[in-house]
Amino acid sequence: MAAFPSVDAILKAANGDWQAREPGVELEVVSRAMVDHHTAMVTSIATRSHLPDVIAIELSYLGRFAGSGALEDLSQPAYGARELSAQFVPFAVRQATTPQGALVALPADVAPGTLFYRLDRLEKSGADLGELTRSWESFVATGVRLKAETGAHLIAHARDLKDVIVRANMGPNEGTYVDHAGRVLVDSPRFHRAFELARQVRVQGLDARTTAWSSEWAEGLRRGTIATQMMGSWLAGHLCSWLAPTTAGLWRAAQLPDGVHCAWGGTFYAIPKEAKNKPLALELIKLMTLDPKRQLAAFKSEDSFPALLETYGDGFFEAPIAFLGGQRARLIWRDAAQAILPFSVHRLDPIATEIVDSALDDVLGEGVDIPTALGEAQRMLERRALRA
Amino acid sequence: MSIPLAPPRARGLPALSRAGAMLLVLVGAAIMLAPFYFMFVFATHARAEIFQLPPPLVFGRTLLDNIGILEAHIPFWRNLGWSLYVGVMSTALTLLVASIGGYAFAMYEFRFKNALFALVLGMMMLPSFLSMIPTFLIMDALGWIDQPRALYVPSAANAFGVFLMRQFIATSIPREIVEAARMDGCGEFRIYRSIVLPLLGPPLGVLGLIAFIASWNNFIGPLVVLRSSAMYTLPLALRSMQNPVNAEWGALMAGAAIATLPLMVAFALASRRLISGLTAGAIK
Amino acid sequence: MRRPSAGFRLAARLRIASAPYLFLSPFLLLFAVFGLVPLAFSVAMACMRWDPVEGFGSMRFVGAENFAFTLGDPWFWKSLYNTLWLSLAAGVPQHVVAIPLAYFLHRALARTRNAIVAAYFLPYITSTVAIAILASALFSTDYGLVNDAVRSLAALPGLGSLLPAEGVDWLGSSRAVKPTVAIVVFWRYVGFNTVLYLAALQAIPREIYEASEIDGAGAWMRFRFITLPLLRPTMLFGVTLSVIGGLQLFEEPFILTPDGRGGPSHAAMTTAMYMYRTAFEFNDFGSASAISWLLFAVVGILVFVAYRWLRPRGAEA
Repeated sequence: MAAFPSVDAILKAANGDWQAREPGVELEVVSRAMVDHHTAMVTSIATRSHLPDVIAIELSYLGRFAGSGALEDLSQPAYGARELSAQFVPFAVRQATTPQGALVALPADVAPGTLFYRLDRLEKSGADLGELTRSWESFVATGVRLKAETGAHLIAHARDLKDVIVRANMGPNEGTYVDHAGRVLVDSPRFHRAFELARQVRVQGLDARTTAWSSEWAEGLRRGTIATQMMGSWLAGHLCSWLAPTTAGLWRAAQLPDGVHCAWGGTFYAIPKEAKNKPLALELIKLMTLDPKRQLAAFKSEDSFPALLETYGDGFFEAPIAFLGGQRARLIWRDAAQAILPFSVHRLDPIATEIVDSALDDVLGEGVDIPTALGEAQRMLERRALRA
Repeated sequence: MSIPLAPPRARGLPALSRAGAMLLVLVGAAIMLAPFYFMFVFATHARAEIFQLPPPLVFGRTLLDNIGILEAHIPFWRNLGWSLYVGVMSTALTLLVASIGGYAFAMYEFRFKNALFALVLGMMMLPSFLSMIPTFLIMDALGWIDQPRALYVPSAANAFGVFLMRQFIATSIPREIVEAARMDGCGEFRIYRSIVLPLLGPPLGVLGLIAFIASWNNFIGPLVVLRSSAMYTLPLALRSMQNPVNAEWGALMAGAAIATLPLMVAFALASRRLISGLTAGAIK
Repeated sequence: MRRPSAGFRLAARLRIASAPYLFLSPFLLLFAVFGLVPLAFSVAMACMRWDPVEGFGSMRFVGAENFAFTLGDPWFWKSLYNTLWLSLAAGVPQHVVAIPLAYFLHRALARTRNAIVAAYFLPYITSTVAIAILASALFSTDYGLVNDAVRSLAALPGLGSLLPAEGVDWLGSSRAVKPTVAIVVFWRYVGFNTVLYLAALQAIPREIYEASEIDGAGAWMRFRFITLPLLRPTMLFGVTLSVIGGLQLFEEPFILTPDGRGGPSHAAMTTAMYMYRTAFEFNDFGSASAISWLLFAVVGILVFVAYRWLRPRGAEA
């Protein structure tokens, strides 16, 4: 079993149940930092050697591994996962399915995106939640009021806004950057809108210009100079335990603005074709993904939002969250998880993300105008797409 | 006939500018030390305290807790042991291979000498990550995956080491010594071992230190060839704790700080050797 | 000394002739297995298209296409510019500071020398995890100590007006991130070079200096006409290392920029970083190999230039 923090903790916690099911079979978990883990998996897959029986894969890497042909198709009769797939959150199953229809992994957890906001700042600015979330334009407009009345920034970085807007409102045959026919979509209204709003945010001083997970960002959350944060639902746990415990009770959660629903990560389990103990591997995956007890245990200890629909009726979702002032936020997140739309991944996604981010840097930092920047990005990406 | 001696004069610079230079050097030393100091300070604080700005400036009280967290996540002391073992083996092998190789380049004329040396230099210029996948294949073929020898054996092919030794030998050891020994009937290897090697204190010290540090901090090599966490070396083990979202920064800092201690010992040993070796070697 | 017999001389000559090959054989053997094979692999790679995740069977021969693409890639040229900029900005001060520093330590201090050298050497052995966290804390735009200092200094009259009153966005602005990385690299390696020069200085026999003092040479003249020329071989060595190290610069910009992306507008992305990302994030091993060979060519040219410039005249180096 190869995994990364904190999936390794979840797996180790499952050992008791695993021993009950398969006595005497030892569970060996090899853990690396997340990036290192995926790099090591790439090495192993490239050489088809030293592969574990089960691989944990993070959502952002799933597309790359899914298309490699190195993972077992779990929808085959031997595994019977096709029938099981209805038990999971729909988008997660779609993500793990290749265009050819093979189901290469089963979802263990998802991270529904949510909007965390400082209730005290919002109230002081005189705006209400509806204005904040009705549309992206109203979101930015509320940001102006927040800045004027409270001095707080709307968001951590303008790029975060661009990221969310770009990932939403895709057409039926579109991926994020490239459509099914291989045409590059960067110079399109969706991107123009995202860039324009990001630019407005920067020009009006509404972003704190800090990247997530930096000390400055943490400090901004603590001091209340960052008024909202869009992220996976698990952020609440971190805010509470170490990021900003003194701000307990001041935050609330809401659905993302403009009716957008997207995922901020997710963990999947797959079986490589070279695995030695495939039946046992399947049993382990079933234990981790289909057993409500394990799903809820992971939820409670590591904040891993379950992908198993059956768990959604559990009382835990109704429980108020003290950090969020007693809000029953898990109900919001449950709705969000089920409403997330799947997105198709493309080989060029990593480089496209890089190109678009660089274009945004040029717009925000160098004052390049948006049509020029996006046109340049489009050309760069097309140049690479042609090499396919 | 007596040579008039010049009157004794103050060595070097007049006192004031010397004091000024001293001050500059001390300020520089403080700047060099500062991050190091902070690493140790952070090792004694809990995670939430580290992430504050401004960060804590004096030692805290959670060092033992941090070590406990460290031990709970990874087999820390075992990983430390592996790092030590691999470091020592790597250093020893590198010193052996590089010193004798550098001697060959410095003292002999032979066909292909220039071509080989160019090859050595060229090898220094290639970055290491492209060789990740072929290295994995080779280790797999040799059956060395997950074994320490997969780390220290290749490290001995240290082009920089050969370069350094050659440089030192060529500039500091006169050929006459070797010629004289040959005349006396000494075998080539004996010349190297009994005459040249004892004079190599300083570069051996420097190279040994550098090799040890490189081996200690290496994480790409272990990432490729080590598969089970019980066999990890320290950098890999510490990185495996680095969840981008939830890292136990206090424990990580404690691990990093403890990991630096053997390097400091190595440096102390090497500099003592350097000094004693240099005073002996300066006498020509 | 009696003349050895002819037979003895022949045997001796054979022994001497074979000695270098024997002595080099351990190194060459290791090098052949662990150096040449990966080298050959990467040569082959440079002419292929390969996404490693798809397995070995998916490698496709594409000739010089990877090279053509890379040479036409604006990001490659940008990374090359960044790399050269950083190499110079970090490398030149390293040597310019290390030589006088080593000289001062050598001449002026005896008791405290070891402690100070140790202090300057410490950055070299500090772990990168620690450096990354500390740099982000110290250079933080809003809360960092460096900007605190800048803001205080900017309030002073005169010189203060040259400094921006709000501090500098060290790690977040495309203009400032390069100098910041250069500072960190300088900090990390200046001690290493100091140790190198110190070792070389201590190998210079005292008699030379004493003789020149008797002849009436002043401190500066001694430094310029004795020390510097004798340090030439060491300078060649040190500069060669700095050139090679500088052009392969990866670790420091990687840890200082979020996600190792090279900062805003890729201002701090070096060629080595670009190559790493091409291989492991964009999954294009072929282009990554091509980049590495192009970089190798650049390094080779520069090392050659350094060698011509600093090659000691006269005595064999």
